[in-house]
Amino acid sequence: MKKSVLLLFVAMFIMYSCNNSNQADVSKDFEVPDSVLMEKPLEISEETMENIIQNISSPIEMASLIKSTGAPFSQKLLSPTDYVDEYGTNFKKALSLGVFGADLGYLNMYEKTGSVITHLSSIKSLADDLKVGQFFDFAMLKRLSTSSNNLDSLIFISVSSFNLMDEYLRENGRTNISTLLVTGVWIEGLYLATQIVKDKPNAEIAERIGEQKLFMNDIILLLSNYKSDQNFQELIVDLESIKALYDGVKISYEVGEPEMIEKDGRLVIVQNEKSVVEITDAQLDKIIEQTEIIRSKIVNI
Amino acid sequence: MKKIYLILIFFVAFSGISYSQCNDQLVSICAMGNEGATYIKDFKVRLKKAKKNENPPVAKYSVVLNKNTVYRFSVCSATEFEGKAIIQLYDKESMLGSNYNMATGKEYPSFDFYCKKSGIYDVFMSFKGGAEGCAAGILSFVGKEY
Repeated sequence: MKKSVLLLFVAMFIMYSCNNSNQADVSKDFEVPDSVLMEKPLEISEETMENIIQNISSPIEMASLIKSTGAPFSQKLLSPTDYVDEYGTNFKKALSLGVFGADLGYLNMYEKTGSVITHLSSIKSLADDLKVGQFFDFAMLKRLSTSSNNLDSLIFISVSSFNLMDEYLRENGRTNISTLLVTGVWIEGLYLATQIVKDKPNAEIAERIGEQKLFMNDIILLLSNYKSDQNFQELIVDLESIKALYDGVKISYEVGEPEMIEKDGRLVIVQNEKSVVEITDAQLDKIIEQTEIIRSKIVNI
Repeated sequence: MKKIYLILIFFVAFSGISYSQCNDQLVSICAMGNEGATYIKDFKVRLKKAKKNENPPVAKYSVVLNKNTVYRFSVCSATEFEGKAIIQLYDKESMLGSNYNMATGKEYPSFDFYCKKSGIYDVFMSFKGGAEGCAAGILSFVGKEY
């Protein structure tokens, strides 16, 4: 109880500090990202884009699923932090920021709080370059990352900082950056999952990889708003190559009515409608291979 | 320990933070009060009082939920407003669950949802009786299975 109260106050303090940071200074200083010019109207509405962006699965969930399979933590799966200073364009920086965000979820879920600091430094550098560093209280995050006792707070602050940053980007007409962020998060989540099944087959993770078919179109749709930019166009082509591999993946549904139960005083709804994914080993192998290629293009120079 | 609490109370009193504020502090309070669950995202809602002979205003959000995963939907209402928040989960037209049972009138601070079908779902937030209100809804991740 005492621990919870203390955590609560830490969280409140951080949120208070973040919300009172120098947003005004930053907003004056917006730059059009060097690779994107918003001359043409968006092909899909801001509202639709917002819905799609909101619907990219959380990196924490993918990391948690990976951990639940018993897969050991692997540092080598993480994106290298060596090239961060050499990412020359805002396109590359935004995409990589998403990748590092997903990696941060993986690190946090495995309670590798010590290694979090290196990734946080990279995130800080990229976020500052994109003029959204004000949403991260890096000093506090670093302090929290020194002990696994602060894990709940660390996850909450990390995730909510990303959420606030994304909200701010969208509200300020920088949806292109937001789009790249969620694309980076999604690709890295897919990469982590595919590497785990590559190392050791796992039906549950394979199914989660197959389910990504549901979201591929949305991500490509988001990116297509900016296809007049060559970087975006190349990324779309890359993702289309993965999408083609998903053509044979089948997702079907079994109908059922939800049940409502009360367990230990808590209301629990159990869904009885089920989704079933059919993905063959051959399909999976091709998706693994193609994801590796695309992710490598993103994280390397 | 008492000293720490006194310092914290002093801090709260002089920093302008209040449990009842209709802002991001409400999100923090609501999210950190969710022991045993990991925060994923929040839904901030501020709605005016329903007009006469009109349906109460409702805010809609969409979320991705994954198969074989238990999620918690919790809600915290700001105390400076009359409205008590209701959070409802829908799959297209079908309501799957809510923190408020209209049949019995029973309210819950949260409900857990054991998802068995990956996909996009809708979350609706409104205030009981169409009252004016401010609330934070929190989606958190409980675990893989019950």
